[in-house]
Amino acid sequence: MPKILIPTPLRQYVDRKDSVEVAGATIGEVLGALTTQYPDLRKNLYSDEGKLRSFVNVYVNDEDIRYLSKDKTEVKAADTISIVPSIAGGGR
Amino acid sequence: MLKIEPQPWAAMVEHGRACFPRECCGIMLGTADDPARVCTVAIPCRNAYVGDQKDRFQLDPKDQLAADRQAREAGLSVIGFFHSHPNEDAYFSATDLKNSWPWYSNVVMSIRNGEFSHAKAFIANDDQSAAEPEELQHA
Repeated sequence: MPKILIPTPLRQYVDRKDSVEVAGATIGEVLGALTTQYPDLRKNLYSDEGKLRSFVNVYVNDEDIRYLSKDKTEVKAADTISIVPSIAGGGR
Repeated sequence: MLKIEPQPWAAMVEHGRACFPRECCGIMLGTADDPARVCTVAIPCRNAYVGDQKDRFQLDPKDQLAADRQAREAGLSVIGFFHSHPNEDAYFSATDLKNSWPWYSNVVMSIRNGEFSHAKAFIANDDQSAAEPEELQHA
């Protein structure tokens, strides 16, 4: 099953694990299975409209799904999926 | 409380000085056990913000992917991020808050005229409506 790497702030919602393996053939299916198994994660990853939040980047191995097929991006059992927080800011 | 060990602290300050008058940014690795978080590795990163970097920064997600891998291989965690405010105080701006994530430690360094002035740390609350100061210890 594809492995999802969990960033430190979200580990509190997945029994303190740093990665979780869930079944699914696409990113949408895998993240759906993840948030079904761990419902508290949902509000951190998705907006009320059910869209992936803009400050959440999802990578399959080294590729940003925005430049692949977004939530329809296919994943294989050996793939590693990373949830990467979008971090920016500045004095202004 | 956030403790930053001497080696990562030196790397953070040097990155802030080297990037002046632009903002620097980077990633902190370490442990997040109670009662104190300890930063043992600081990774200076490229400021990926497209535009005037004197008061803006953005981390490249690819650098974050690499940092996460480095942390996992070393048995550490990504515990937060750092950036500089050139010729400004070390406050957590509305832009910082809006573009942060809860839980992480955020270190802001004030770099004045190319030299380190002071630093503060902050943690955003769960809905990112406010940030609380975090006690900061560094070399």
